[in-house]
Amino acid sequence: MDGIIKVQFFGLLRRRVRTAAVDVAGEDVSVLTLLGRAEKAAGGRFLDELLDREKELLAGTIILVNGENIRLKQGLETRVRAGDTVALFSPAGGG
Amino acid sequence: MSGWMGKIVAIDLGSRERRTVAVSEETRRRFLGGRGLGVRLYNDPCPDPIDPFDPDNALIFMTGPLTGTTMTSGRYQVVSRSPLTGTICDSSSGGTFGAALKGAGVDGLIVRGRAERPVYLAVQDGEVEVRDAAALWGLDTQKTQKAVQAEISSKASVACIGPAGENRVLFAAVMNDKDRAAGRGGMGAVMGGKNLKAVAASGNRAVAIADPAGYKDLTARLDRIVDKNPVTGKSLQVLGTSVLVNIINAHGMFPTENFRRGVFNDAEGTSGEKIAETLLERQSACYKCPIGCGRTTRTRTKRGEGPEYETAWAFGANLGISDLTAIAEANYACNELGLDTITMGGTLGCAMELRETGAWKENFRWGEAGRLLDWVTDTAYRRGVGADLALGSKRLAVKHGRPELAMQVKGMEIPAYDPRGAQGMALSYATSNRGGCHMRAYMIAPEILGHPVFLDRFSTAGKAELVALFQDVSAVVDSAVLCRFLQFAVGISTFAEILRTVTGLDWSEEELMRVGRRIYTLERLFNIRAGFGRADDALPPRFLNEELQTGSSRRRRVGLEPMLDDYYAVRGWDRNGVPRPQTLAELGL
Ligand code: SF4
Repeated sequence: MDGIIKVQFFGLLRRRVRTAAVDVAGEDVSVLTLLGRAEKAAGGRFLDELLDREKELLAGTIILVNGENIRLKQGLETRVRAGDTVALFSPAGGG
Repeated sequence: MSGWMGKIVAIDLGSRERRTVAVSEETRRRFLGGRGLGVRLYNDPCPDPIDPFDPDNALIFMTGPLTGTTMTSGRYQVVSRSPLTGTICDSSSGGTFGAALKGAGVDGLIVRGRAERPVYLAVQDGEVEVRDAAALWGLDTQKTQKAVQAEISSKASVACIGPAGENRVLFAAVMNDKDRAAGRGGMGAVMGGKNLKAVAASGNRAVAIADPAGYKDLTARLDRIVDKNPVTGKSLQVLGTSVLVNIINAHGMFPTENFRRGVFNDAEGTSGEKIAETLLERQSACYKCPIGCGRTTRTRTKRGEGPEYETAWAFGANLGISDLTAIAEANYACNELGLDTITMGGTLGCAMELRETGAWKENFRWGEAGRLLDWVTDTAYRRGVGADLALGSKRLAVKHGRPELAMQVKGMEIPAYDPRGAQGMALSYATSNRGGCHMRAYMIAPEILGHPVFLDRFSTAGKAELVALFQDVSAVVDSAVLCRFLQFAVGISTFAEILRTVTGLDWSEEELMRVGRRIYTLERLFNIRAGFGRADDALPPRFLNEELQTGSSRRRRVGLEPMLDDYYAVRGWDRNGVPRPQTLAELGL
């Protein structure tokens, strides 16, 4: 039995998927794989808010794994394990 | 003269003498307008710093060459010596007042002296009239604006003070166009000290554009860029600035209970997402702004503007309060009374920690939303505990024997980013010319939001160059004058282009950056004359010595001193932070 990884949605992304979080089954997966599974779990497409057509992170997108930005780790290849929390933010600004 | 109306009026409220101040093209090239020109004129002739409440302390309302032209150009800057910090200060406000001033035929006003009785200024057709304001004294900012419009014109834009400014609360704001604030640094107190209740401007004079065809092309392009940009075209519109609440909290640097923690458990309840679902009535926008980051909101019994991010934090996490209605209504009250919400919240956070440590025996408790309105109101009228709160956190903490509990730099309260979570932001706070403010160099953009590049927020390497660069660009935008949020969509080359098509003067990107550096350095020179030095480019000891315990910035502190050395070297200042003669020569200062 796979463990659970929590995926949280913030900002415009949340309005798009209409939920604040989903639980995704997974033991040890890449962020990219996790995002695909999260789309299914959320029951609606949203990856175009975060990735471009080449599946690269769009500028301004923030993905945190347990509070750490994946850009400082292995990007979309960063491993996520059961029990982790992944937070997704579409580009935002303010002051 | 394209871009400028060609008239800056200096008026002495004591003698009622007025004259037109000539500004050469050379000076406009070197300082643009707004903040830069305001600071330049403040320093002319190079004065010995005087008490901010001395009648001779100039209070300057200044627009820029772009004011009243393209998108987001309704802004103006208020420049003076701050009674809160003692530094030179400029405070920026949106709305339409800047554009209205130029519509009235005036680029700026330099106000000196003190009126014997309350007055207001009416600017129309290039003329400035001093009018009696006895009947306005005591009114809140909303009633003041309406009363002045009733006398002048319903179309007049009015910048004014409320009771807080009249009572010289050290962080009183100047309010215009209902709820827009030149909030920081107590410019409203300086205005109150002059017995100046309001400045009203109305008129339809157009700003001459040097290259209409180029300008038209450029603004059409700007429209498309701003619309397509996910921040200016979408996020700021739908969620406002409070979208940052969840973001900064997730980074473990959302200051909670006077910066003792970096994670607020109830952040979600005060977030932009939540505001959009609950209080939001509609978005609101400044003059010609397609972005419209403002929030018109309503609670069950009241209606007003805000809260934006800083205010949602100042009265929220910072005080351990998650009641969004209480936060919004405290925000409305600050708008009506004319108070800076950041310093108000920062001072209350300090008061609560003072009480908890037993240093101040008043009944300030974390999370006590029910008394927020009373505290805010008492502050504006300097009564009861408000007499102490009106001093700001630094003086309050000193008075009660615990100076280290004031979360301030140079006397100005630090806003909603714990510097332990972003080293560049820490350096930006420490070196800001007006004290603890996020607007001189918004390092959150690269360190958290990944704009325009993504940087490791915990690294100190290379941060000094970037802070200096951001400070210089910001000085340019504040002097043009356009809204700083445009920076999420365009960079210095676009600002240079807009300036060229409007004024007909050419600045290379490099020259424009030098303009920014010149402005920043001139401000620094004033501060040095006022007695500030390296020891004041500091942060409260909490950030240097105490680690955050929870969240994703845990076990972090600020490594300030090495960054400060780098920064002075980048700036061409000596080890004490004094600009070297060669640096001044390069900048023509
Ligand atoms: S982005 Fe917001 S603050 Fe800036 S001009 Fe537009 S409405 Fe005003």
